[in-house]
Amino acid sequence: MASKATTDVPMKGGFNFDLCRRNEMLANKGLRGPSFLKTGTTIVGLIFQDGVILGADTRATEGPIVADKNCEKIHYMAPNIYCCGAGTAADTEAVTDMVSSQLKLHRYHTGRESRVVTALTLLKTHLFSYQGYVSAALVLGGVDVTGPHLHTIYPHGSTDTLPYATMGSGSLAAMAIFESKYREGLSKDEGIKLVAEAILSGVFNDLGSGSNVDICIITKGHTEYLRNHMLPNPRTYPQKGYSFPKRTEVLLTKITPLREVVEVIEGGDAMEE
Amino acid sequence: MEASKTIAHEIGGVRNDAFRFGLQGVKSDIVGSHPLESAYHSTKVRQEEMKRKVLANTYGSALPMKLELDRQILSRFQRPPGAIPSSMVGLEALTGGLEDFAFEDYLNDPKDSESFRPVDTHHGMEVRLGLSRGPVCPSFI
Repeated sequence: MASKATTDVPMKGGFNFDLCRRNEMLANKGLRGPSFLKTGTTIVGLIFQDGVILGADTRATEGPIVADKNCEKIHYMAPNIYCCGAGTAADTEAVTDMVSSQLKLHRYHTGRESRVVTALTLLKTHLFSYQGYVSAALVLGGVDVTGPHLHTIYPHGSTDTLPYATMGSGSLAAMAIFESKYREGLSKDEGIKLVAEAILSGVFNDLGSGSNVDICIITKGHTEYLRNHMLPNPRTYPQKGYSFPKRTEVLLTKITPLREVVEVIEGGDAMEE
Repeated sequence: MEASKTIAHEIGGVRNDAFRFGLQGVKSDIVGSHPLESAYHSTKVRQEEMKRKVLANTYGSALPMKLELDRQILSRFQRPPGAIPSSMVGLEALTGGLEDFAFEDYLNDPKDSESFRPVDTHHGMEVRLGLSRGPVCPSFI
């Protein structure tokens, strides 16, 4: 028998299932954990004559509460690839950031521009290996040496390749616009207009989507990110804080220090027996 | 028959701490505590197995055997146990870990663990030479 005194490879981090057993036990004893929260988003993408246009709304929800009125849902993957995320915000951010890092390492390794299929494969293998527990529904778009590409990725790892795609709870409203108005060979302005219209359809017809319209235009060798391209839901109450009348008088400027609450006693001998 | 001169130890940390991992139950050890757990642990092994088979089918069985030998050598080639853990650059270059970036690179770093205990150099060296019992690193993730 060979020597058993093998050296341990240093421990690695990553996922840990330690607490699952404890949580299961607590659930059996009647502790109720937090339930699932409904997510809502409208994200879209389409291919136009020079490249790809991605669009997203900017509402983040926590169940019935609007958590953020102006969040970013179009994530950077590579200089020529961007990705819209729907689903759990933390999952979409973590997944896109991680794959973005992998693509960067891959670019350092190969010295070439990343391809969209590379990003697609990395995303789908990751999502499939977690069997849907990473709840990220994505619209991936980019332009590489083989032309413009648009893909949708579902949380369980299945993918579609489409000329126009929508995702999230507002996908039906947005798809209705695309189905009626999309045609091949759209110009850039027409494409932006159509994407904005699809997002607005989600913003106004889906309760999970709202606020502003973000748009990202990717063409060969150039990327344009239009953050808050449209602001259809401006605030209706005063935005710049409250202004006080000029003659508000300051009554007291003298500062009286509070009495010291804790008294410090030197030496600890008093406590000893 | 001469007894083995070395003391076997559990690789990857002690798993019989009842406070931390619960009482040893046969069912929970086999089934796992989460539906994802078994898949998570077996995916990497299966992928390596598949890679080895592909290499054997393409280049003959000598290449994966040589790679396995390299892997074993490189995984033993480490710094003495102490403040700085081995970075395992050689091993990562061989396995492709250098060009990869995954959860273990930024989530749940063992060094950030609340139960992290610094390695005792003398104990670690004794374990490595087979003179003492237990894992080199006493802390859990």
